Amino acid sequence: MNRFVSVLLTGLICLVAFGQFVQVITRYVLEIPVMGLEESLLYPTLWLYVLGAVNASRENTHIRANVLEIFLKTPRQFTVLAILGEVLSLVIGCWLTYWAWDFTKYSWRVWKESPTLYIPTFYVDVSLVLGLVLMMAYTAWHLIGHIRELSAKEENNNG
Amino acid sequence: MVEIALLAVGVLVVLLTLGIPLPYCFGGGLMVMYFLGDVVMKGNMLWGFQQLGNPVLLAIPLFVLAGTIMSVSGIAASLLRFVNIFVGHLRGGLGVVATVSCALIGAISGSGLTGVAAIGPLLIPEMEKQGYPREYATALIANASLLGLLIPPSVTMIVYGWVTDTSILACFLATLGPGLLIMANFSGVNIWLARKFPLVLEERPKGAEFVAEATNRGLKATPALLMPVIILGGIYGGIMTPTEAAAVAVIYAVPVGFLIYKGLDWKTFLGAGKEASTSVGAIMLMILFSMILSQMFVLESVPQALVESIFSITEDKTILLILINILLFLVGMVVNDVTAIILIAPLLLPLMEAIGVSPIQFAAIMGVNTAMGGVTPPYASILYLGARIGKVKVTKVIRPAMILILTGYLPVVFLTSFWPDLSLWLPRFFGY
Repeated sequence: MNRFVSVLLTGLICLVAFGQFVQVITRYVLEIPVMGLEESLLYPTLWLYVLGAVNASRENTHIRANVLEIFLKTPRQFTVLAILGEVLSLVIGCWLTYWAWDFTKYSWRVWKESPTLYIPTFYVDVSLVLGLVLMMAYTAWHLIGHIRELSAKEENNNG
Repeated sequence: MVEIALLAVGVLVVLLTLGIPLPYCFGGGLMVMYFLGDVVMKGNMLWGFQQLGNPVLLAIPLFVLAGTIMSVSGIAASLLRFVNIFVGHLRGGLGVVATVSCALIGAISGSGLTGVAAIGPLLIPEMEKQGYPREYATALIANASLLGLLIPPSVTMIVYGWVTDTSILACFLATLGPGLLIMANFSGVNIWLARKFPLVLEERPKGAEFVAEATNRGLKATPALLMPVIILGGIYGGIMTPTEAAAVAVIYAVPVGFLIYKGLDWKTFLGAGKEASTSVGAIMLMILFSMILSQMFVLESVPQALVESIFSITEDKTILLILINILLFLVGMVVNDVTAIILIAPLLLPLMEAIGVSPIQFAAIMGVNTAMGGVTPPYASILYLGARIGKVKVTKVIRPAMILILTGYLPVVFLTSFWPDLSLWLPRFFGY
């Protein structure tokens, strides 16, 4: 899984960088800009953003402030805080997913196309809802892990 | 509506304090605006997602990738060795090497992380070996690493220019003066502090030997030194946009890392690609939701209400600038640089313009304050990363870090606010 994610994300980011580089060469060196290159790069770019965020959820490496952690002392307190954070993340994330779904339905209904190459923008719009669903799944996965960890600690304390 | 906006900010702060991932914290703020305020969510996802597709923002992942490749490819080591030949033999010289190298890396990467990630593992052990306390070396490199956000190109200035509709090139130039001043401050303070460290200094090679060594190291560092020339020359020569320059930097860094410095192999390359993409994904999702929240505030005329309420307290420019700096300092303590800019810049810009501070000078004020936020706890991501790399406890790094903040950053924060020419002379020189 890790290797697949590395290849996928590296491939996407390199594709975007290479596309921009081709743009520089064709526009400024050869002076024959490629039609539609910029708009077609939008698709891997937005998928890169969304899948990068999904991987941050998978690795649990999203940016966070962790202010309260400074005042915590025991591992149990850390686990309880993680559970609370994940429950709130799930509630908010599900609400955001609902609106992303609303956006996806709109995108499907209007079936807009890109101006030069006529690529349906739905193919990129759908990434947001898919990404948020995957992020919710990973958040739920971490939540289950932390609940199990807490139960194991409680059992150890009782036993 | 201002009360609801304040409540949304309150919820945001509570969620941040609980350590919830930033995109969901902004989602919480959005929920407050939606359920309690008179705002609609329909259409906002469409608007926000379309904004993310802006080519200007594409510079962010590309500069992050260029920086990540650089930190694993050995480019940093060659820069270090080159700077070291000139000042490494002086008392406090290695600290100056760290500071200047972080600034040079800042001229390539655009991120505050790259300096500490690339220089830290190489120089912290080296500085300790020479007699610097490890926690001091860590604090110095973590602080200097933030020069990456001030020496152009800079991710935060791309975001600032984008959200406030200010020329990104002018914003890049606005933070250069303060950035160089901070670099000079850190170097000077380091030399002053190093007097008390029991340093064992290497002898500098003399005469022809020095020339030969400097030439050798200079040649080896040339491919790395060419990177800022390509990026900044391309941008300010009017040849490329920042996004295109970032792409060229990536395409240049890959063969240089693989074939010249040889620190890059397929494994490290894939790791760098994944790491950069994950960072970018986390940043972009946060940008999406924070931007929607910020847009809601703007649509509900919160900035205007804020200006009126602040002006009802005082209209004195000096007091207002002091208050704004205190606010930015506090914001920097709890959120990261990009978030602070997206949330605060559109809110405060009308106020700044009303008191005669140009958007370009405000870019520099925000740039210096948000950069400093990277080392001010509790949200001090760069300091924590530095402590992890330096293998020292965070609590041990805080004291030397605070000394450097007080002597290195704060005077420049003050100067940037009250001496407009510091941030405006370069943009003016380039015609902005």
